[in-house]
Amino acid sequence: MALLAGQSVFYYLAAASIASAILAVTRANPVHSMLWVLALFIHVAGIFLLVGAEFLAAVQIIVYAGAILVFYLFFLMLLDLPSESVGRRFGAHWPLCAAAGIIFVALAWRAQLTGFVPIAQPVSSEGPSPGSLAVIGTALFTEFALPFEIASLILLAAIVGAVVVAKRETDA
Amino acid sequence: MVPVGACLGLSAVLFGIGLAGFLGRRNVILMLVSVEVMLNAVNVSLAAFSYNLHESRGQILALFVIAVAAAEAAIGLGLVLALTRNRPGISVEQLTQLKW
Repeated sequence: MALLAGQSVFYYLAAASIASAILAVTRANPVHSMLWVLALFIHVAGIFLLVGAEFLAAVQIIVYAGAILVFYLFFLMLLDLPSESVGRRFGAHWPLCAAAGIIFVALAWRAQLTGFVPIAQPVSSEGPSPGSLAVIGTALFTEFALPFEIASLILLAAIVGAVVVAKRETDA
Repeated sequence: MVPVGACLGLSAVLFGIGLAGFLGRRNVILMLVSVEVMLNAVNVSLAAFSYNLHESRGQILALFVIAVAAAEAAIGLGLVLALTRNRPGISVEQLTQLKW
């Protein structure tokens, strides 16, 4: 019973996220598009919860839906980009888009046919859940300490770079 | 409980939608948002593998993906701001200065 409920929740979340992703990339109004992306992020957070990644779900909501999306919305309102609805969306390039999508699906299907990605068996089910905060925090500050510091460096460089790139030229 | 194959299929579908959006949209900001959709699709598959293998490293990789997505958003939107300041009302088709 619980298994069936989990599966139906998963399929609801999957269908809802696919639908909101499609709506997000096809809406003409950029703000509507952003709101559909928000719906997508929240549903993906639900999927993270379902696969036991609680910390990832929280980060998804806080950082993605909370910070990054608000950042994008700020920019939309700041810039007043010309509305896309005047011109044709998916202009002359739509055959290329369709071809890229079809090639991607074909490659994925090919990879799945030959099965060159061996899906290993679960190692063990004992111990704390792999998504628990303690496990992730310990790994992040021991095994992944160097990548963690590099990530902070990347964020710092991105902040400084964004300020430099977007700075108004005053004396030029 | 959750079939890992279905998770990977969902991830592939989301990635394809984001790819089509990136190639098809003409609004620079919405192209960047399509990149975010693709990164999210990758995160779904990382979380699914992490769940299947009972291993936390996949989720840590997904955290790094989120950090890189934030950096990409900052840089990309800074570039868009600089572009629109120099040439207001610009569309992607007109950005051809870097074309050989």
